[in-house]
Amino acid sequence: MPTKVKNIVSVCIMAVLLFGLSFYCWAKPADEFSDSERRKLDQFPELTWDSILSGDFMKDFEDYTLDQFPMRDDFRTLKAFSRFYLFWQKDNNDIYIEDGYASKIEYPMSESSMNHAAERFQYLYDKYMADKACNVYFSIVPDKSYFLAEQNGYLSMDYDKFFELMQEKTDFMEYIDITGLLDITDYYKTDTHWRQEKIMDVAQKLAESMGVTLSGNYTQQTLDNPFYGVYYGQSALPLSPETIYYMTSDILEDCKVYNYETGSPVEMSIYDMEKAYGKDPYEMFLSGSLPLITIENPNATTDKELVIFRDSFGSSITPLLVEGYAKITLVDIRYITSDLVGMFVDFEDQDVLFLYSTLVLNSSTTLR
Amino acid sequence: MLFSSIPFLYYFLPCVLILYFIAPRCLKNSVLLLASLFFYAWGEPKYVVLMAISIVLGYVFGLLIEAWRGTKLSKFFLILSLVTSLGMLGYFKYADFFISNFNAVTGLSVPLLKIALPIGISFYTFQILSYTVDVYRGEVKAQRNFISLATYVALFPQLIAGPIVRYSDVAVQLESRTHSISNLALGMRRFIFGLGKKILIANALGELCDIFKESGDKSVLFFWLYAIAFTLHIYFDFSGYSDMAIGLGKMFGFDFLENFDYPYISGSITEFWRRWHMSLGSWFRDYVYIPLGGNRVSKARWFLNIFIVWLLTGFWHGSAWNFIVWGLFFAVLLVIEKLWLLKLLKKSKVWSHIYVLFFVVISFVIFNAADMKEAFQYIGGMFGAGGIPFISDEWSYYLRSYAVVLIVAIIGATPLLKKLVLSIKKKPAGEKVMNVLEPVVMVVLLLMMTAFLVDGSFNPFLYFRF
Repeated sequence: MPTKVKNIVSVCIMAVLLFGLSFYCWAKPADEFSDSERRKLDQFPELTWDSILSGDFMKDFEDYTLDQFPMRDDFRTLKAFSRFYLFWQKDNNDIYIEDGYASKIEYPMSESSMNHAAERFQYLYDKYMADKACNVYFSIVPDKSYFLAEQNGYLSMDYDKFFELMQEKTDFMEYIDITGLLDITDYYKTDTHWRQEKIMDVAQKLAESMGVTLSGNYTQQTLDNPFYGVYYGQSALPLSPETIYYMTSDILEDCKVYNYETGSPVEMSIYDMEKAYGKDPYEMFLSGSLPLITIENPNATTDKELVIFRDSFGSSITPLLVEGYAKITLVDIRYITSDLVGMFVDFEDQDVLFLYSTLVLNSSTTLR
Repeated sequence: MLFSSIPFLYYFLPCVLILYFIAPRCLKNSVLLLASLFFYAWGEPKYVVLMAISIVLGYVFGLLIEAWRGTKLSKFFLILSLVTSLGMLGYFKYADFFISNFNAVTGLSVPLLKIALPIGISFYTFQILSYTVDVYRGEVKAQRNFISLATYVALFPQLIAGPIVRYSDVAVQLESRTHSISNLALGMRRFIFGLGKKILIANALGELCDIFKESGDKSVLFFWLYAIAFTLHIYFDFSGYSDMAIGLGKMFGFDFLENFDYPYISGSITEFWRRWHMSLGSWFRDYVYIPLGGNRVSKARWFLNIFIVWLLTGFWHGSAWNFIVWGLFFAVLLVIEKLWLLKLLKKSKVWSHIYVLFFVVISFVIFNAADMKEAFQYIGGMFGAGGIPFISDEWSYYLRSYAVVLIVAIIGATPLLKKLVLSIKKKPAGEKVMNVLEPVVMVVLLLMMTAFLVDGSFNPFLYFRF
């Protein structure tokens, strides 16, 4: 191709691309929500003299153009591919893929965050449990990097030290080690969480440590909705969807579940099938992020009651613990302040389990 | 507005291109001026007035200097022009530096003005100064068309981060310039490659530098990785911007002079500064160094001239001591080279390159430090001061993660690729292949860079603060 023709071709192609995408930017209606990133997208900013003079309009407009760019997900995928396979970078937005599992770099270990979490737990213990006849337990759920990071050359915090320090800082509780029962296959490939159908042994270990025996008789159900976990969107790679399995039993069927989000109890179900088909199907387990839930089990093998202070990992394991307790109260102090917990829980003759993932403990500013 | 942003690429630029090319010839400068004012106001809505005042003063003083040429009034108006331009630069850029140092020396506590630095003020002030000085020297005629002069100063491709375009270099083009498909193609290619240098390489290296600064796991080798990454980062960031500016200028019919010529292959610091930020170097040479007498004076005065120029060069980059030290650091090296080192360096290409790279890397550690304390801390860290370990997990991880980017950057900082392309093009078949590949590469690059912008968050331009 002669240089003159090349110049014409170059200008034409670039003009089509530049003006084509430009026209698409102007013409494309704004999307409200990104399913892959699970967040609301910025809308066209308000145009006022004040917003122009302060520069807010320009900044917000730039955010808007990024969020609303045509084929945004495809471009994000192109960027992820470029980082991983062209520049051979180890991670994209701190997400890495190893053995088909997407995981986020959990590094470095934040001792100040661990201190904050331990201080919150101590506060709860001193305020509600110290002078009550209740047994208090603590267990830590390792995140996926516990199994993947160090052996595959990714930045990894010293998990042994992490567990050891957390135990030292919470020596008023009895620690239950569940790490030996878990491996990477117990987690979703595209999500942070563990798979309910794989953690019966963990539930049994926790219950056994608290003096309760679980039979573990459940029927495995399959959710007919493809599950794209939170790392699917963050990695921006075309990862395959997964299947959510959930465990049912007659005991669970008969349970009464109440949500206290509004202050007064509202009945709900163990598995929220509306959320199972929503933006984050993992929220089907006890309806996702809720500050306080009670599960009453009329067919319990004991009259024991359990209070679980938990994060989202607790949502999927709690149904497996229900069998052994007449009542389980789930408290998420990311959504309810510790001072208010006493309005709903008396802690008399109740076992208490603090069940938290390394992800929350290492970034605990949300614990209130 | 950043060149490497979605609003610029897909909103501003297409609109300006359409308006510019449909506008009749007599209105093209007006279109460019309005577009440039909008471009500047996008980032600095309030300071567009300041730039307008600077332009008006430059215009008026230019006319007055010419009108009174040969009289003392001409010199008076030149001095007035210098005082007002440098006064505004001094007030907006250096006032707090002088106040804080005055406070430190006297123990007083004069309140700081805390004025936000107007973007690009150092660049457009120097352009206006070069114009009025050139008019005074009779090297150019004063511009009577206000739109033309305002277009020269405010021209958005080079407005906020250079290169510093001399009025004499574009005076003819402001009145009459040719537009052609080949210029458009060349300009687009230059712009896209500059954008690639910025987004694909400089931003990645900038991320690495930020990671290092926030790391709690520093080691000797991590300090070196940071220093090398920043040295490459600033080159790709700034030369990428210059490429984009030159490319955009070409698209609109202007020929801006080159600003970088592979500085990291230099065999001496003297050569380095002939290849790095050439428009600034030549500005200081023509408007400070030579008027001071240059090298046609006694040796002592010559070295003093060098120190003055490099003190000002450092100070131009920022109102902080580390920039002054950075400038003087080069002054010392240049004087040593002129005294005896240059002869020695010519004897070994390998050692001369090692010498240049070593001191350039050190200089940029000083340059990028928050203050001199941090500069000493970082340089100390590079040599194991403070009992830090030699290696660390983070160094190992990030070296592996950024290895390809670093290798690409190192190769890209040399003329190897350019030589390769030129040698291929020398053969007829090779030229055909390259002619087919070029548009393909441009499309792929633009799409890839769009992807990085859409998903990216790290995108500052270093030279915007100057």
